[in-house]
Amino acid sequence: MPSPTPAHGGRIPGVVPADGEEPAFAPGDAVRIRTLSPVGHYRVPLYLRGKAASVEAVIRPAAIDNEEEGYGRNAGSRRHYYRVAVPMTAIWADYRGNAADSLRIEVFETWLERI
Amino acid sequence: MGQQNQHHDHDHDHGHDHDHPHAEIAQTGMPGYYEIMETAVRELLVERRLIGPDEIRRQIEVLDSRTPALGAKVVARAWVDADFRRRLLANGRTACEELGISFYDDTQLIVLENTDKVHNLIVCTLCSCYPRPVLGLPPDWYKLKAYRARAVVEPRAVLAEFGTIIPDDVEIRVSDSTAMVRYLVLPRRPDGTEGFSEEQLAALVTRDAMIGVVPVTLTAPPAPGGTLQ
Amino acid sequence: MTATEHLVKRLPNDIGGLPAEPIQRVEHELEPWEKRCHALADVLDFHKIINTEEKRRGVEALGSEMVGKLSYYERWIAAFANILFQKGVLTPGELARKMAEVEARFAEEAADRKPCP
Repeated sequence: MPSPTPAHGGRIPGVVPADGEEPAFAPGDAVRIRTLSPVGHYRVPLYLRGKAASVEAVIRPAAIDNEEEGYGRNAGSRRHYYRVAVPMTAIWADYRGNAADSLRIEVFETWLERI
Repeated sequence: MGQQNQHHDHDHDHGHDHDHPHAEIAQTGMPGYYEIMETAVRELLVERRLIGPDEIRRQIEVLDSRTPALGAKVVARAWVDADFRRRLLANGRTACEELGISFYDDTQLIVLENTDKVHNLIVCTLCSCYPRPVLGLPPDWYKLKAYRARAVVEPRAVLAEFGTIIPDDVEIRVSDSTAMVRYLVLPRRPDGTEGFSEEQLAALVTRDAMIGVVPVTLTAPPAPGGTLQ
Repeated sequence: MTATEHLVKRLPNDIGGLPAEPIQRVEHELEPWEKRCHALADVLDFHKIINTEEKRRGVEALGSEMVGKLSYYERWIAAFANILFQKGVLTPGELARKMAEVEARFAEEAADRKPCP
């Protein structure tokens, strides 16, 4: 169940979040969708590889990497997905429409790098 | 299906033609190859007690209980109840659950609000992700190549093919659903519905309006377009 | 890029942005076996026998020719069979024998429905 604040909070003194437990990115962050080429299964479409994006929302709670889940690892690595926005004109050189038109998609944390 | 039959009659004697999945049904009343496979897989899994004998039937009942009328109820409530609308936009899933709509899968729901400045459109380029708990199963065109390939590159042209012209000064946001999140478009409430009851409003809201390919209008929705598969 | 690299790098279902025909607003009422196949997918996911992501991967693994030519639920059931073999839940021989049995049963039922001569 999504909740507006992390259940663990990280606000109790002495409680240290595990690696990957807290989101690495926040709304407004500028990121790039990485140019990786996984073999066999992926959920980041080719047309978005290498594109600069801005983080719109953190999807909570953290979820399993769907590339791992695709091979039956139902207890795979959990990190956050992020809803990111990419301008259409940055994806398609000859895009026809409003310059503000955009694409929105959820991307797993390991696919994003800060720019 | 009848059409397919006619084609075959003209084309060739195809007692052994397995190119078309339904050829066998048309010819012999026998289920086709893939139905035989489905039946065999299901029966083996039940025999091995990996799934219960009634589970498929029960899940079919769940699937049958999900239709665009649920989504329409959510939209109409959001139009008449500003507090509900706020909760819906903040967390689509919990707001739908408030109306008694359960989510039978692990998906979350983001509700995207259309305004006079922003028009949202949903697609799944990689497969057929769709807000099934609130809309039921997607139409074929949503799952076919033309829509999936083109909605992300020329959304205005795609919308025009649905008869929807979006003015240039309105921003289009295309959401490509690929992960655990599903989307539902909250369409604009049409003008001239000020005196409408919630039920009357819900009756105006179509499936395609909640995908974002058409607006909600006061006129009766057009008959299901195109040819049957 | 080598001549074949793109075949590995682009999964057959990854079609966003590719050239395509005008939209045809086709839809059809699911046939009973198609609906059973959909329910089977959900039940397999509930039990994590085949989770939804494995189903997607299984469809992709059918390759571009089958992804292009099989219908939606035909792809699903073919993918389920392969995944169940990979996981050691079923063997190809077991499914083949069961399919022969089911086919014979269907043929018998069809014969029973025919009016007597």
